[in-house]
Amino acid sequence: MFKARMRFSKTEEAAYISHLDLMHCMQRIISRAHLPVWYTEGFNQHIYISIALPLSTGYSGEWEFLDFNCTADEIPADAVERMNAVCPSGISVQEMYSLENGGGRKVRDIAYSKFEITWEFDDGVPADFCEKVNDLFARDEILIMKKSKRGEKEVNIKDYIRGFSLEADTDCVRCYAILGAGNNNLSPEYLTKTLVRELPELEPDGANYHHLMVYDAELNEFR
Amino acid sequence: MKLSRKLKRILPRVQKPARYVGGEWGSTIKEKDAVDLRFGMCFPDTYEVGMSHLGSRILYGLLNAQEGVWCERVFAPWIDMETEMRQAGIPLYGLESGDSIAELDILGFTLQYELSFTNILNMLDLGGIPVRAQDRTTLKNLVVCGGPCAYNPEPLAPFVDAFQIGDGEEMMIEFTDLYRQAKREGWSKDAFLRKVCHIPGVYVPSLYDVTYHEDGTIQAVTPKHGAPAFVQKRIVQDLDSMYYPENFVVPSTEIVFDRAMVELFRGCPRGCRFCQAGHTYRPLRKKSAEVLLKQAEAVLENSGYEEISLSSLSTSDYSELPELANQLLDFCEERRVSLSLPSLRADSFSMELMERVQKVRKSGLTFAAEAGSQRLRDVINKNITEEDLIQACKYAFQGGWNNVKLYFMMGLPTETNADFDEMAQLCRNIAYCWRMNTPNRARGVKITASTSCFVPKPQTPFQWDAQATKEELDEKTAYLRTVMKTKNVTFRWHASDTSYLEGVFARGDRRTAEVLYTAWKSGCKMDGWEDCFSLDKWMDAFRACGIDPAFYANRQRPLDEVFPWDHIGCGTSKEHLKREWERSRRAEPTPSCLEKCAGCGAASLMKGCACHV
Repeated sequence: MFKARMRFSKTEEAAYISHLDLMHCMQRIISRAHLPVWYTEGFNQHIYISIALPLSTGYSGEWEFLDFNCTADEIPADAVERMNAVCPSGISVQEMYSLENGGGRKVRDIAYSKFEITWEFDDGVPADFCEKVNDLFARDEILIMKKSKRGEKEVNIKDYIRGFSLEADTDCVRCYAILGAGNNNLSPEYLTKTLVRELPELEPDGANYHHLMVYDAELNEFR
Repeated sequence: MKLSRKLKRILPRVQKPARYVGGEWGSTIKEKDAVDLRFGMCFPDTYEVGMSHLGSRILYGLLNAQEGVWCERVFAPWIDMETEMRQAGIPLYGLESGDSIAELDILGFTLQYELSFTNILNMLDLGGIPVRAQDRTTLKNLVVCGGPCAYNPEPLAPFVDAFQIGDGEEMMIEFTDLYRQAKREGWSKDAFLRKVCHIPGVYVPSLYDVTYHEDGTIQAVTPKHGAPAFVQKRIVQDLDSMYYPENFVVPSTEIVFDRAMVELFRGCPRGCRFCQAGHTYRPLRKKSAEVLLKQAEAVLENSGYEEISLSSLSTSDYSELPELANQLLDFCEERRVSLSLPSLRADSFSMELMERVQKVRKSGLTFAAEAGSQRLRDVINKNITEEDLIQACKYAFQGGWNNVKLYFMMGLPTETNADFDEMAQLCRNIAYCWRMNTPNRARGVKITASTSCFVPKPQTPFQWDAQATKEELDEKTAYLRTVMKTKNVTFRWHASDTSYLEGVFARGDRRTAEVLYTAWKSGCKMDGWEDCFSLDKWMDAFRACGIDPAFYANRQRPLDEVFPWDHIGCGTSKEHLKREWERSRRAEPTPSCLEKCAGCGAASLMKGCACHV
């Protein structure tokens, strides 16, 4: 038996599956695909899986990781194909690999996530939106109240942002942001909140969050 | 389904948004221009409840197996979602296409519970569809209903175009085939309804006139335009060859009964006199173990479910249960699938089976004793003795179970406080049985006795009986609370308000439809959910319509009264029900069909007039 990882995406309808439901959902996909996986051996036997960086309900993502224990000598050659043949709409698996012998990093090495935030404007994007928002996030310090399980504290949002760019479309602006993840997590919603607080006249009509990529502390692609 | 920008914007604000997006494994997507019939399988309650319903799954699979037909699922959105949808101008939509239900040809509602009736009106309205049948003038958006509550369809008569009475598997296809022909050939809605009422099992309420006596009871129900005077329910003769889905829609979010299911048999040999299912699903027809195994394996293979349940009204009465359970267990253990066996009787054989099945997880045990005294159990024909119960409990306690639930009904015909005294004594005896038999007293025991309020249902031997009034039920509850004082026994009871309303609509006639409409207009919906139910609003609606709910619920009906549902056949004859009512007053039990045929009349629906006993 060895530790293994699959990279999958969760978009469209599947964006609305909560983390707990997603775990259940992935277990059933694995069961339908007959992957050789390890089951827990307690009172309630179930497929052992673990998902790194659970997404908030409603977020879509295309760089998600699920770790499991493989009970065969190696991952079946057609494993990805088999999984994708039995996935609900919006979920698909891109690759599967062994974590043995340096095949994959430890989840605790994750340091950053890249998000695509889509700010929607039903009546067209305000003329100077990108300029003003770029200026806003170019400031050295923007203090926000950050909520966590341990309570609220005031932090400088800039400490969590390692990349920021905007791309305007006709009825929306796409913001690409590299944000702290793992132990030093920043939800991309804080960017929208900051935007609305500092530039209320530019408040978008809607915001969507899409998880693009995961990095380690040196901004190397996490695998 | 494709999610619109509008919908995406409200989804993050509602609870459990995964219920509203579709896309689950096993759901069927078709090209809408390539089909000639679009069907909405509507469940008038939330997604979690509706997705747990086996009947809807069967019909969904069946309809989608037809070429040229696309069946979608439609559920009632929870209050928060409904508010958001109305605000954003999003109509109620099918979970497969995301299209408004107004675009669908037929909307089929299943009637599982009287308190979901307002949801039917609300769902139609949320789809921008007129709620009254007479205001839907074309074939489009034909509203058809089926399910247990269709055995008294009258409270819904003004809203529904047609009812399908009985098993839907064959009737549904005949119905949709005729609709497709009507659509192709451009028939009027009237022409279609006058034709469809001749499909056996189909009831078209607009083709019947109801006249009343001065005292408010029914004088006659008269068919017109050649509609049949009596609509007997349809049955499927052979369950082995009957359609059964091998692909279940596997929800991506938690639902109430989240597991695979196979159906052991239809009908029940027991004949408990309060039970509507026991009298309306007759005659007894069983599926062979061989077919069940094949279907169970296919469903598990295709769904990835980790639990399978054997569904029936009385699992212990399935003659091949030991062989079936053994073979299923072999398959399930290999796949780490757990097997659940609901509706087992409290006998030692069942207990042994339970123990084998629940090797790992010991869930609680539930016994439906229904009544506290042997006399009252004889009245209701619940053929279970105190000795059976104590034996079963003894077995369970010795096996290490320490969580037992007992279900009772309150407000049964002929019930007195003496029956409650015996109920309390029974609980004491069970607590004592635990003390004497448990291998570990230190762990303690949890015995829960729950009472619910009896609701007389149409097409049962108790259809003539008065439902206990709210005052009577409150008194009974108060008395029970004084006698149910045993240590280790927790007593729970249900509020009587919802049961009262259930009682009115269970045996209501066409005039109660106006109350339904008025109550819905005043904001009643999701009445089965305690946080939504308001008896005050309902009482206002009764007053506004000049209708006395007690006339329907609390009146002892004479044996010769014409009932609003007398022209609807459930297989069991009214004569048999009457005989059973008379026997009940003598506290005389009727043996199970397996022992002796009681001549209920349902066998006449079978080829060769023989039930599968």
